[in-house]
Amino acid sequence: MNRLVRFYLEREHYLLGWGFILLLLLAWETTPHLVTLPKGLSLFFTTPSKVLEAFYDLVVQNQIQHHFYVSAIEFLLGLGLAIVVGLPVGLITGRSRTIDAMVDPYVTVFNATPRLIFLPLFILWFGIGMWSKVMIVFIGAVFPLLINTHEGVKNADRVLVNVVRSFGANEWQIMKVVVLPNSVPYIIAGLRLAIGRAVLGVVVGEFFGASEGLGFMIASAATNYKVDVVFVGVAIFMGLSLILTLSVKRIENKLSRWRPEETKTF
Amino acid sequence: MTVKGNYEEYRRLLLGLVSVISFITSWELLLTYVFPLNPFFLTKPSLIAVAFNEQVIQGALWRDLAVSSRAFLWGFSFAVLVGIPVGAFMGWRRRAEYTFDAFFTALYASPLVALAPLIIVVFGVGLLAKSALVFLLSVFPFIFNTFAGVRSTDRLMLNVVRSFGGKEKDLYLKVIFPSTLPYIVAGARIALGRGLVGIIVGEFYAASEGIGFAISRFGDTYRLPEMFAAILVLMIAAVIMTEGMRKLEVFLAPWRSAQDTR
Repeated sequence: MNRLVRFYLEREHYLLGWGFILLLLLAWETTPHLVTLPKGLSLFFTTPSKVLEAFYDLVVQNQIQHHFYVSAIEFLLGLGLAIVVGLPVGLITGRSRTIDAMVDPYVTVFNATPRLIFLPLFILWFGIGMWSKVMIVFIGAVFPLLINTHEGVKNADRVLVNVVRSFGANEWQIMKVVVLPNSVPYIIAGLRLAIGRAVLGVVVGEFFGASEGLGFMIASAATNYKVDVVFVGVAIFMGLSLILTLSVKRIENKLSRWRPEETKTF
Repeated sequence: MTVKGNYEEYRRLLLGLVSVISFITSWELLLTYVFPLNPFFLTKPSLIAVAFNEQVIQGALWRDLAVSSRAFLWGFSFAVLVGIPVGAFMGWRRRAEYTFDAFFTALYASPLVALAPLIIVVFGVGLLAKSALVFLLSVFPFIFNTFAGVRSTDRLMLNVVRSFGGKEKDLYLKVIFPSTLPYIVAGARIALGRGLVGIIVGEFYAASEGIGFAISRFGDTYRLPEMFAAILVLMIAAVIMTEGMRKLEVFLAPWRSAQDTR
């Protein structure tokens, strides 16, 4: 008995956490068996087992794979573009005060506004195909990356920079030896936020004026009252963003053990 | 030092102003003199100003703004009312933290906006669906920030209050609440951005009024100046709210202002 208690206490965090999630799923699954739902509600009700069934059906019909492929391409292109633009701009604004002062108003304003409001504009400019989604992913993901790179570069140790400079390093060498290694943890933190924004962009971008992709699958299933298919899509997005954010978080913790964790942000 | 600091600040402000003004003038001049303006594709600042005057100053857009802010306020208030107690409870009771942490983290990290079509189908087009969406998106920053605030309360201060005969009420009012407040405001800033996403997606998806609906309607009918004016209004509102929260944060906890997490 004593050993059992110890076993429990040592793993209490996981056991309680997972136990709660399993309990919720179980309650969800058994509710329709225990009470008869009113007719209006049962239309919108599904159970985890039905969601799994729907998932299996969609995999067999090769539908998930297609939608997933489309969404993944949009996600990767948008995020890649955000990295290609965000990192250099962040480096430059971090190093030059003049350029920082000139770019700052735009960054502040765009970062404060939800970039999804540009979706109708992007649909107008880039059409209802893939590129409007890529651009909405890009504009969502670029600002966290840019801002975090900027912070990382700006927080580089002045003394170290001066030491390297005294030994005759040029700007490029300062970057390589001091600034970039110092800003890696910041960039990774920015990447975590950027992934969240990018997934958001893919989901919402595909809600409107799309004909393929997981977001489209969710939206069209909802209008056809196929609630189980909606949850298949939601579960895929949940799983993916959890795996991506948590693995980046793990890298982040490894790199910046000394920084106390503040609060959770996604 | 202060003179130099002042100078640096003015220089910064001036450079920012110069960059914005030159961007707007070159946009205007390029589309007036260099490239022919295709009104279905682009617009220019002078036309946006006219539309802004007509839509905002003369008030065609105010109704949409009022509709959106009503849904936003409902959802946001419920997020405050639910998020802060839940977060405080998690911070105060270790077992509660263990139980809820995994579940809430999973929800916080996943794009709950994906539920928007379902929520709109269930709750209908209108106030309720939009408020529910705002609530769902903005409750988690409140939970986790309140949690972090309560958790970071100084144990020593709690013991001091206890030693001097303070009651449970004093613990909450004099120690825990003041030390948690800055965290809550920081959470409110994050929640604000997420709540705005909820409003916009809700109104893009299915609405007959509201600022998001106005933007997508202007887009659908190729009224670009009006669309830009509406986007501008939303931007101004978002910047005012976010910067206001940031100021409040600095005011409440000046020592934390160095750690700037956006």
